[in-house]
Amino acid sequence: MSEHDLLGKKVSRRQLIQGAAAGATLAATGPFIISARGEEPVKIGLDNPLTGTYAAVGKNEMIGCELAVEQINAKGGILGRQVQLLSEDSTSGDAGTCVQKARKLIDRDGVKFLLGNVNSALSLAMADVAYEKGVLHVVTGGHTDAVTGKTCHYNVFRICNTTQMEANAVAPSLIKQGGKKWYYITPDYAFGHTLQSGLEAACTRLGGQKIGGDLTPLGTTDFSSYLIKAQAAKPDVIVFLVQGDDMVNALKQAVQFGLDKRFHLAGAQQELEPLEGLPPEARIGTWVFEWYWNQPGVPGVKEFVDAIKKKTGRVPTARTWFGFASGWTCALAANGAKSLETVKMAKFLQDFKLPPEVACMPDAPYFRKGQNQLIPNLFVGHAQAKGSAPDDLFKVTTVVKGAEAAGTLEETGCKMTWPA
Amino acid sequence: MTQLILFNVFNGLIVGAFYALMALGLSLILNLSGVINFAHGGFLALGAYIAYTLMPYTGFWGALLVAPVLTAALGLVVERLLIRPLYGRDPLYSLLLTFGLAYVLEDVARAIWGAQSVPYPIPASLTTPLSTEYFFLTGYRLFMVALVAAAVAGLFFILNRTRLGMRIRAGTLDLETVSVLGVNVRILRNLNFGLGIYLAGLAGVLAAGMLGLQPTIGTSLIMPSFVAIIVGGLGSLPGTLLGGLLIGVASGITTVFFPSATEAVMYVMMGLVLLIRPRGLLGEEGRIQ
Repeated sequence: MSEHDLLGKKVSRRQLIQGAAAGATLAATGPFIISARGEEPVKIGLDNPLTGTYAAVGKNEMIGCELAVEQINAKGGILGRQVQLLSEDSTSGDAGTCVQKARKLIDRDGVKFLLGNVNSALSLAMADVAYEKGVLHVVTGGHTDAVTGKTCHYNVFRICNTTQMEANAVAPSLIKQGGKKWYYITPDYAFGHTLQSGLEAACTRLGGQKIGGDLTPLGTTDFSSYLIKAQAAKPDVIVFLVQGDDMVNALKQAVQFGLDKRFHLAGAQQELEPLEGLPPEARIGTWVFEWYWNQPGVPGVKEFVDAIKKKTGRVPTARTWFGFASGWTCALAANGAKSLETVKMAKFLQDFKLPPEVACMPDAPYFRKGQNQLIPNLFVGHAQAKGSAPDDLFKVTTVVKGAEAAGTLEETGCKMTWPA
Repeated sequence: MTQLILFNVFNGLIVGAFYALMALGLSLILNLSGVINFAHGGFLALGAYIAYTLMPYTGFWGALLVAPVLTAALGLVVERLLIRPLYGRDPLYSLLLTFGLAYVLEDVARAIWGAQSVPYPIPASLTTPLSTEYFFLTGYRLFMVALVAAAVAGLFFILNRTRLGMRIRAGTLDLETVSVLGVNVRILRNLNFGLGIYLAGLAGVLAAGMLGLQPTIGTSLIMPSFVAIIVGGLGSLPGTLLGGLLIGVASGITTVFFPSATEAVMYVMMGLVLLIRPRGLLGEEGRIQ
């Protein structure tokens, strides 16, 4: 048997060359590995969507994270060691893949920190893995209440707001701008359910009422039949709680139907990404942004915006900031606790205030003790077709203090236990 | 309530016409070449993105004319390079190939145009609703239905009145005999594939005006199209048209009563058809074995 005879099948020279070429291509395009200088680098694992519905927002979180790691390394790294960011595609909704990637990052790559996810359900799944393995987990952008509520863990922190906080922040403006009778168009999964129930509670408190609503499957493209139902109910406000591409489709169609001339079209959580995807006439309504790039005079914001613009040519979105703040949280925790032990870092972060260059907003957001939820400001306002710059698509009218929107610790349902 | 149902029936017809346009392209390719083209949604997205890129230079109407043709040209190349070598083999090969190609096309769109939705302008003359009562009848939607009707009429004209069309139909029935009679089957399949992709490109240009344009735009439209083919009956183009309209109306009506089942109802219909009349509503006997 000659050495060219693999698996009993004759392999021609041509095939061998083809195979070698393919192998070389793979090697050349494979992951770029930073070689450690002296000591082994400290690894941060980001397990976030890079494909599917949440690809755009997932990528923005990654860019923010990358900037944070560059800055951390420029300022001396974590405990004097360089930091390396490992990024995995969690998919947009497949919990199995997401968990498998999280385990791979922890078991094989030995990451000390786990970051992610955009999707609420995947955030919960990752938190379980992180808790089991005792790794510090920072949830970047999954909003459902339970992450820092009923299923909170001592080692799981969250940068983005809870859905209840968003609902409490935006409800007064929605009633003032639109009226008291609301019809909901809600995505049918964890995030949508908790956001709607949060809004219903806030609305009732303010004397408003729900007059109807529909749950739409994630990834719905045609919203016309839901809109036909919504307008028949004659509400004051049609509340859009769908996100991402679903938001683009829903608003675009509602405006094409002329519903914006008959009802107030608005909602709770809004982001720069969908507004950029909408035609100018559909950039309307009252919303809450979790972070906005146009905050004149606030320390740290301009530097952050410029750094991201230099990297990508575009302004950062709330997602970019989530990633940025998540990355920095890891370094601040380890350097503050002078340790990479999860319990020590988690203890250090209790009631820890983010410094201005990371916070990029007024009133120093902090991780609330006993819940690990970041309590930042929320930016309530309205979408606009045109602003001071091409990317200025939102007009902030009220800055709501996170502490006012967050409710009490008891209300969150978080009962944290620490390892003995 | 009656009005609500009536509105949704109308609306379902509009949406269904759109599914039918996608499904007709799929059906053409499946009938002649036996290829289940999972990448159809990818071509749809490419058609939309090509139109988006052309629009600043050609305007909407120019893009509407040119983009589907460019998409079809790309289809011809793909057929020649990737699909043709697999014709003699088990259908599973081409299925796997197009399945992979769907992901490749989606990622190509993501790499070139970005993962985020892009704003896709449509002419102002088409954006206004025609009346406040029947607000869902916008100029754009009616235009879309008219164009779908024209495309379907054109397709049936080509199939019934031209030499190419007759050869495609004959090939669908018995490719071997057509080949023996001196028709170049390779070119026939190539042109047929291009014709199918043209319809996908056209559907893409239209869909992007109604929905947002993002790399996954085709993914959500491809499954209803397959369902339309199965409900209407394999091998029958009028059946495909009927299938598309039916599932559009069915999901429209379902929204009134049980909104979260809007998508599920299509698959329930498909299941029922497969159980009761496996060849589909207008399908020929023996196409599914």
